[in-house]
Amino acid sequence: MVKQARRLALAIAVALLVGSGIAAAQQQPTSVNPTASSVKEEQLLQQLQNVQGRITIPDAKAAVLIQPGGRDWRDLQQVSLRWIGAIAILGMLGVLILFYMARGTIPISGKRSGRRVLRFGYFERFTHWLTAGCFIVLAVTGVNVTFGKVLLMPLIGADAFAGWSQWAKYAHNYLAFPFMLGLILTFFMWVLDNIPTKLDVDWFRAGGGLVGKGHPPARKFNGGQKLIFWSVILGGVALSVTGLLLIFPFAGTTIADMQLAQIVHGIVSVVLVAVMLAHIYIGTIGMEGAFDAMSSGEVDENWAREHHALWLEEERTKAPAGGQRAAGPAE
Amino acid sequence: MATRVKFLCDADRCIECNACVTACKNEHEVPWGINRRRVVTLNDGKPGERSISMACMHCTDAPCAAVCPVDCFYTTADAVVLHSKERCIGCGYCFYACPFGAPQYPRVGNFGSRGKMDKCTYCAGGPEADASQAEYANYGANRLAEGKLPICAEMCSTKALLAGDGQIIAEIYRERVLKRGYGSGAWGWKTAYKETIAV
Amino acid sequence: MLIKRKSREASHSRLQALASDHSSGMLDRRSFLMRSGLAVGGLAAVGATTLGAVKPAQAAMAKPGAPIELRRNICTHCSVGCTVVAEVQNGVWIGQEPAWDSPINRGTHCAKGAAIRELVHGDRRLKYPMKLANGQWQRISWDQAFNEIGDKMVALREKSGADSVYILGSAKFSNEGAYLLRKFAAFWGTNSVDHQARICHSTTVAGVANTWGYGAMTNSYNDIRNSKTVIIMGGNPAEAHPVSLQHVLVGKELKRANLIVIDPRLTRTAAHATEYVRIRPGTDIPVIWGLLWHIFQNGWEDKEFIRQRVYGMDLVRKEVEKWTPEEVERVTGVPGAQMKAVAEKFAKEKPSTLVWCMGATQKTVGTANVRAFCTLLLATGNVGSEGTGANIFRGHCNVQGATDLGLDIANLPLYYGLVEGAWRHWGRVWEVEYDWLQSRFDEVPAKAGRPARNRKQNMETPGITSTRWFDAAMMPADEVDQRDNVKAMLIFGHGGNTVTRMPEAAKGLAKLDLLVVADPHPTTWAVLGERKENTYLLPICTQLETSGSRTASNRSIQWGDKIVEPIFESKDDYWVMYRLAEKLGFADRMFKNIKVENKQPLAEDLLREINRGGWSTGYTGQSPERLKSHMANQGDFDIVTLRATKGPNQGDYYGLPWPCWGKPEIRHPGTHILYNTNLHVKDGGGTFRARFGVEREGQTLLAEGSFSAGSEIKDGYPEFTYGVLKKLGWDSLLTADEKATIERIGGANPDGVSWAIDLSGGIQRVCLEKGVIHYGNGKARANAWNLPDPVPVHREPIYSPRPELVAKYPTLPNGRQLRMPNIGATVQKAAVDKNVARDFPIILTSGRLVEYEGGGEETRSNKWLAELQQDMFVEIHPADASARGIVDGGWVWVLGPESGSKTRVKALVTERVGRGVAFMPFHFAGWFQGVDQRPKYPQGTDPIVLGESVNTVTTYGYDPVTNMQETKVTLCQIRAA
Repeated sequence: MVKQARRLALAIAVALLVGSGIAAAQQQPTSVNPTASSVKEEQLLQQLQNVQGRITIPDAKAAVLIQPGGRDWRDLQQVSLRWIGAIAILGMLGVLILFYMARGTIPISGKRSGRRVLRFGYFERFTHWLTAGCFIVLAVTGVNVTFGKVLLMPLIGADAFAGWSQWAKYAHNYLAFPFMLGLILTFFMWVLDNIPTKLDVDWFRAGGGLVGKGHPPARKFNGGQKLIFWSVILGGVALSVTGLLLIFPFAGTTIADMQLAQIVHGIVSVVLVAVMLAHIYIGTIGMEGAFDAMSSGEVDENWAREHHALWLEEERTKAPAGGQRAAGPAE
Repeated sequence: MATRVKFLCDADRCIECNACVTACKNEHEVPWGINRRRVVTLNDGKPGERSISMACMHCTDAPCAAVCPVDCFYTTADAVVLHSKERCIGCGYCFYACPFGAPQYPRVGNFGSRGKMDKCTYCAGGPEADASQAEYANYGANRLAEGKLPICAEMCSTKALLAGDGQIIAEIYRERVLKRGYGSGAWGWKTAYKETIAV
Repeated sequence: MLIKRKSREASHSRLQALASDHSSGMLDRRSFLMRSGLAVGGLAAVGATTLGAVKPAQAAMAKPGAPIELRRNICTHCSVGCTVVAEVQNGVWIGQEPAWDSPINRGTHCAKGAAIRELVHGDRRLKYPMKLANGQWQRISWDQAFNEIGDKMVALREKSGADSVYILGSAKFSNEGAYLLRKFAAFWGTNSVDHQARICHSTTVAGVANTWGYGAMTNSYNDIRNSKTVIIMGGNPAEAHPVSLQHVLVGKELKRANLIVIDPRLTRTAAHATEYVRIRPGTDIPVIWGLLWHIFQNGWEDKEFIRQRVYGMDLVRKEVEKWTPEEVERVTGVPGAQMKAVAEKFAKEKPSTLVWCMGATQKTVGTANVRAFCTLLLATGNVGSEGTGANIFRGHCNVQGATDLGLDIANLPLYYGLVEGAWRHWGRVWEVEYDWLQSRFDEVPAKAGRPARNRKQNMETPGITSTRWFDAAMMPADEVDQRDNVKAMLIFGHGGNTVTRMPEAAKGLAKLDLLVVADPHPTTWAVLGERKENTYLLPICTQLETSGSRTASNRSIQWGDKIVEPIFESKDDYWVMYRLAEKLGFADRMFKNIKVENKQPLAEDLLREINRGGWSTGYTGQSPERLKSHMANQGDFDIVTLRATKGPNQGDYYGLPWPCWGKPEIRHPGTHILYNTNLHVKDGGGTFRARFGVEREGQTLLAEGSFSAGSEIKDGYPEFTYGVLKKLGWDSLLTADEKATIERIGGANPDGVSWAIDLSGGIQRVCLEKGVIHYGNGKARANAWNLPDPVPVHREPIYSPRPELVAKYPTLPNGRQLRMPNIGATVQKAAVDKNVARDFPIILTSGRLVEYEGGGEETRSNKWLAELQQDMFVEIHPADASARGIVDGGWVWVLGPESGSKTRVKALVTERVGRGVAFMPFHFAGWFQGVDQRPKYPQGTDPIVLGESVNTVTTYGYDPVTNMQETKVTLCQIRAA
């Protein structure tokens, strides 16, 4: 918004300047005193929000003499982002802790049946863990950039922190690419299963089984999982786009674009981290039997019935076709 | 009272001769593509055109230092903002925050491996021992330690670029403006030092 | 809070000591203020404030290791003459320090000066002698180079005569190098010896010398501080002479002076003007006459000055009457009100000075332009005192000196013409027989209806100018007024891209039997055209790697010390000229009075020989010892008056600006301001030179009632000879030795011995004693009857954008000048007939950039400079650009009206140029008509930045007096590429 307003102001100011320039060329004044009419900083800042001129070196960003926008960015980066991050991450942790204290681990209500159903195949698990692994490293190294200086540096000292941060930066930059690969695979692999349906509305209306009683029926993915999926996809794309901009700085971008990219990257990151905390919670200690889906890939039939009844039905009808694979619980 | 050094470019004197730029390159053997100092011309070709030489202004409450994720900046007793290349991770944040476009990055490799940030040191070297080989290799000459001022200002063809104690250069500028009757202001001072020179 | 010192840096509290202890080892206030840039004066306000200087570290070593030595030389770029202080460690130039003491630059530099160390460092220099063999560059030894070049020169001499070898020298030579090459040409037997002054200020020298006596800047850069009104016309010193702007801007500020810039472009200089006047290129004379129209109309002229010191102003009045404000606006585009305002300031707010550069001189009317400028100064009484004058900013670092020392087709060193008396004078100085010198010159047979010339006549005939060498190589031999065409070019330190009509030059190169380029860089010569054989590159070191003196634009002569030994296998000019003379068999004669060690002539001895012969121009008092003392004590000189207020040189002007009369022993202080009647001649005073006789058409040519301070003759007087001294009875003041010398020189007619050929210096000494100036006290000429236009008249450029004006203001008729035909009128008529202005509607002009210099090879090879200007460009007005679909930064073709020429360059869309005007810088080369020539350079010597040369599209047009080329006004068309 701010940026758009600025762009608009800039366009208007440029139009004004160009307009006056043409007027000047058409009716040459009888007397020009360049000293008296010298350009002033205040006036440029008011008109253009930054001070830009011409420079002989082939580096467009060097032509910007003063960009006060850096001040806003500094504020966003140092204050707002930290608050948003702290609230999102700590807030989510707090919520989860409270929730855990209230509900504890949600058990499989019918106990474990001992019969196992293949929920995620090898490729699906590989893709998940590729994406998840990268995400965790990216999250830790990313959070380090915003919070490390205040949290970690006092503990380990500035030099050790700088050394760690250097490696963290390399890890962040290089793991971004497998992460993006995982993102693409995830999308194509699961997108059909994640198209929102009326079932999801019901699922949410029923509280998703987290609050209240009863488990609304769901196919392969329930509403909550779809939410995670779309968070990952949309957030991931946002992070990828802004990340790519940041990793190839000034490749067709201006400094304002870079600042915007960094802020978007930062905010989306912390929000996604918060979402992922919830995801991890529910996939591990939050719910009995859930972790199996992504570890061995096979879940207990009762768990499946409880959470993904429709999916279980579908798997059963399909069973003869893919029979052998789904039927080996004891391996 | 402690010294507080500053830069001041008198735009009514600056003729964009670029001596400050090449003097800097020469003094510190700054490589191609790194421009610790540069000269920008505003209103190019129009009446009222002005050129301004710009580098790190060594700000009060330096934004670069504020946003640096590894805290590699430090300010000397005479208010020169320096940084440690050993600590710098080349993230580029200081460039986004800097109002003056001062930080420069060598392109040392593939994506992401933007090299250690380089910027004007006010000819004051870096954290290594004064006038040591290591300091010269990383940051260039340390003229301040030799009792000299930054070479860009010392060699400025029209004495447009002033360096030295902020009060003195402000006084010099003020006197100039009074004498000649015009002045387009101390460019960047409000941004860098949160003050202007009233005449 | 976020800004804090880290504990590990706590020990580096360099400046804490300062805060507590102000007395120990700090810079004193004066040095600080010098460093900070405050001019002396008005310090009270600074009074008690804390100093910003810092305390030197205990062990103040720039880099650890061996001790550092400081050496002083002079910047080799422009003519301002900035002192360069080099830090040398173990024979390596490791850094530059500001030269605080130099009264000229006071520690400062421009981009070029601040990057000059790289010239010596640079790895793109020519490293060893090379030759082209079958189109391939081959490394050869110096011995082989001299043997082969010498043999070929001798063979050409036999076949086509001495004049077939063209000797092109350099404005980058030291004075000693320039003098030596002129001497070399004399001993070889040709007057075709030239250098860059031809293409920068030859018209200035001709115009100014024909007005008041000497062809040089009358005042100095420093003296502009005294001016109340400054007009800069046809010059952009902010880019071409940046350090001079220090003086101009300080003058503007302290005196609240008017700074008026008259130029087709709103240049970097114009950006600092108090008034900017945009003119159509090529209309300088109408502008000047338009100013004078207002001045005469309102009676603002200096009537007393004109009466006492100017001849022929009445004729000017008649011409000026034609230039009414309406006609001026019609021709130049400048409105009458602005003209009047400028005229009033210039005439009434005095002292006023007029500064000009190549915008005025590089024209077919260059000499006339300069004459008009001088006339404006004379009419307003603005010559010969502080703050006034013709402040002509010369181009290269020693273009003034090289001109003085005779690298010129029509002069011997120090402006001795080519007449017998002058040849005999230098014969006496050189101690060679006049007859032998004469025997070296060609006999020219009768050709194309022109009479034959014997050796003596040829010896006294000016040579071919550097602007026409390719015409002289390509035209039918009958058209070239010498024995044969030019067959060989021997080029020292001169770019090939600075001369107009490059497509023709490329063809001319192919015709040459021998091409020798002696230069630190291969230059354009090495890649232009299609040569396969007989081409030699000789690596010459820069002037920073040798010793010698150079003359800045203000005539101050500064001695430069060798900073480091020549790098690679390069050698200095003196050594190369000696070796060549040795091979050609006249080294012993040529170096008779010069000490030569290991084939290396001693620069000091060369200067001493110049001192022995340089009476005409006052190059006699500047002994190497005095110059070195000035360099060692620069801090003693005042920044405004340039006079030493203390020290061993007290009373001297800095660099003993010529004329510095008499022998060094009489310690003439030099002349800061020429023709200054307010001073005694012993203090650097003078009058206009009585050079043109005593009377013409019943009017006296001698000053009336004006004389220099303390003169015993209180009126005008002619120049002095021994005979005149005798008549005045002043010969009794001559010593016996002086008399003996005069009588020896005079032979049968000692009374005819003039002040200029009196080797004893007695006549000058006695005149100085009597307070008179030996060259006479004459009037300046507003009417120079010997020039094609005795009073300048406007003449449209050859390629005029206003064909309708050509009929009224045509160029001069065709003629023959300086051995070559000049068919300007034919070309102009053809251009009008063919309506070239319709197909090529944009005026093309050219000029300098601050980062580069001259042909640009040196500076484009300097990484620190090259980074700042990476592409050749054309400035084009936004309206012209949008009409052609051209965008800023896009590629365009600039097409010229001759030879189907074209250049591919980037567009810089800017209002700096007016509508219908385009500008291109002239420093680029290495691309030719869209083709990159980089592979043609010897490996590793190609400049970092290459680009099209503007002179690929510049066109025909030569000043009739000096054959100056036209680079400032031609026509072009521009298209998006």
